[in-house]
Amino acid sequence: MYLKSQLSWNVVIPAENLDAKGLMLKKAIIIHLMDDFAAKKAMKDLGYFLAVTTVERIGEGKVRQHTGDVLFPVDFSCITFKILPGEILEGVVHKILKHGVFLRCGPTEKIYLSHQKMSDYQYVPGENPFFRNDKSSKIEKGVVVRFVVIGEKYVEAEKDFQAVVSLEGDYLGPIS
Amino acid sequence: MSGEEEENAAELKIPDEFLKAKCLMNCEVALILEHKYEQLQQMSEDPMNQISQVFEKSLQYVKRFSRYKNPDAVRQVREILSRYQLAEFELSVLGNLCPETVEEALAMVPSIKTRGRAHDDDAIEKMLNDLSLIKKFE
Repeated sequence: MYLKSQLSWNVVIPAENLDAKGLMLKKAIIIHLMDDFAAKKAMKDLGYFLAVTTVERIGEGKVRQHTGDVLFPVDFSCITFKILPGEILEGVVHKILKHGVFLRCGPTEKIYLSHQKMSDYQYVPGENPFFRNDKSSKIEKGVVVRFVVIGEKYVEAEKDFQAVVSLEGDYLGPIS
Repeated sequence: MSGEEEENAAELKIPDEFLKAKCLMNCEVALILEHKYEQLQQMSEDPMNQISQVFEKSLQYVKRFSRYKNPDAVRQVREILSRYQLAEFELSVLGNLCPETVEEALAMVPSIKTRGRAHDDDAIEKMLNDLSLIKKFE
């Protein structure tokens, strides 16, 4: 699910970027915020960071001892993406393995649908392997699949989320 | 996030911050990100610095999975769904998946029948009809 969230971060402006003219300083703070935001990529609780939409408030700067850098508290709105257990989503198949498939959904590519969670489908090997059930519904590369999320996990080292999903339920499966 | 009960979006057991936060439909995110993309191209000397992979992949995704493209239609979808006392989360799931039948809608968002709200099948059917009309006239 995509969310509009409100966050408060501290933005550090190096001493050499400080400018007597207020407008340039404001611009520097916003650009730093956007760089920090893009670099942060994701957090466990909030999910992926997509984009800063509005900057609501820039607080008073505090000078840091020794370095002379100035730290500004900034309140802003942003868009985030988080996968929630129980949620129904649609994704695109990008990898077919014997024991299941990987899907792409929003910013993540590590959505795993195990063969065990689509037990009516059979693996069909070949140059372009695919899964097929007896109603000749086919799951192959590039196909859109609607699934339900069983669980998700945040991998701190990669700043990336992984999820396991299932087709067990009504109105789930490949969409033509 | 330290809920005693396990999270389950199907029963609307999701972290508080998400119940209160404003959920966005894919079509809304597409409009916002496209606008942002243009803005960054114009104002920044080095736009690629601020267009992260997360941004790019999400933009691709929401463009493909938006049921409504026209900004007026997108606004109308939210307006219509807002009349049905839905949680933000439920509203967005319905707007994203656009179920065609009452049965499908209940399979996608089982919580609309619980929580003691007066959603009989007729009300849900009317809601789905209204949604499909927007699509038709887009």
